[in-house]
Amino acid sequence: MDCSNAIVMPGERITIIEEVAKEKRVILGPGLRRLDDTVVASKAGPLRHKEPGTYWIDNYQRRYVPARGDLVLGIIKGKAGDQYRVDIGSADIASISYLAFEAATKKNRPDLNPGDIIYARVLNASADIEPELVCVNSNGKRGKLGLLADGFFFKCTLNLGRLLLRENCPALAALTRELPYEIAIGVNGRIWVKANSLRETMALSNAILTMEQAGYTEIDKICDSLGDVLQA
Amino acid sequence: MPSKIKPRLSRGVLDMKFMQRTKVKVDKEDDDEQSRALYSNEINEKMLNSNSNFIIEPSYTICAGLIDGRLSFRGMNPDLELLMEQEMAQKLGKVKPEQPKEVSDQEMAKAYYTNKAPSVASNMSKKFSTKNNLKRKQGGNNQRQQKPQFKRPRDEDDD
Repeated sequence: MDCSNAIVMPGERITIIEEVAKEKRVILGPGLRRLDDTVVASKAGPLRHKEPGTYWIDNYQRRYVPARGDLVLGIIKGKAGDQYRVDIGSADIASISYLAFEAATKKNRPDLNPGDIIYARVLNASADIEPELVCVNSNGKRGKLGLLADGFFFKCTLNLGRLLLRENCPALAALTRELPYEIAIGVNGRIWVKANSLRETMALSNAILTMEQAGYTEIDKICDSLGDVLQA
Repeated sequence: MPSKIKPRLSRGVLDMKFMQRTKVKVDKEDDDEQSRALYSNEINEKMLNSNSNFIIEPSYTICAGLIDGRLSFRGMNPDLELLMEQEMAQKLGKVKPEQPKEVSDQEMAKAYYTNKAPSVASNMSKKFSTKNNLKRKQGGNNQRQQKPQFKRPRDEDDD
């Protein structure tokens, strides 16, 4: 991944991508728009690039925009017919069917109550309809999805969620050196952590929140001093 | 003008029972024509045959190649860690280079044909040979054997 920090502004034409697109396929991620043959930024932030031809803008944002395939943390808000209403931090409340859980049938419904936290995958995301979640994979198995019991839940920016979820991100490994823990990070800027004691759990959440404003380059430095944060 | 108008089946004919399938076809053609006429001034050449190099991907997860966010470390959730391990193994398995071959493809082919090929070839040729061929082949052996015939019992038994 390229860590170039070229900041782009909404409305700015991005000629680098246009040049590349003349020769090969280019994938435009969130924050980039195409108008015929010109590429224009629609969000402000550093322009990121991943080989071979993926570009996106890593802007600061707290409002989650659902996208198909994302793994998110949701809070059950209530029941409606044969669906649960789930808050995933998007503009519209999401829904999840009773049958979208492992081994669930019409008779054997999952036992979820308002306030419960689930880790789910976004199945359907469109601007015009409410997002739909699912807690099983294509084989009908639970895998890593489902209810998150106990633990501590907090919200953060979408950037922090993405920062932690990068492949070989040093932060989670650095925390592991200090204490054993379990974590669920949603790309919708919600994090759930669980450690052996309440004290440790709180220390963990504080440590994660200190990385809120960090860029890719500063993260190593912060990781070195995470131990101090946890002791405090 | 009359030459331009396509011959059409009358309503009465189309309503007949045996014309139902044709009726559906004709209806569909009419619909298509109508919709084409409706949008013809909206669609331009570029829309019809543009070839774009851009793919739009609205998900950060896919763009940035983010990992699954459900993790457990140092035995906090053994089930989860087992899953993580399996996934890791799968990933490594994909990356691992192919094992070097002890027997090269050419050697293998050679050995295969010397060992197997004759029998395979004979099997296949049997399949394609006609009954006549088969008979002739077997006949070569059988001609020497006498055809079974009824033999008169010896007279001695009668006495």
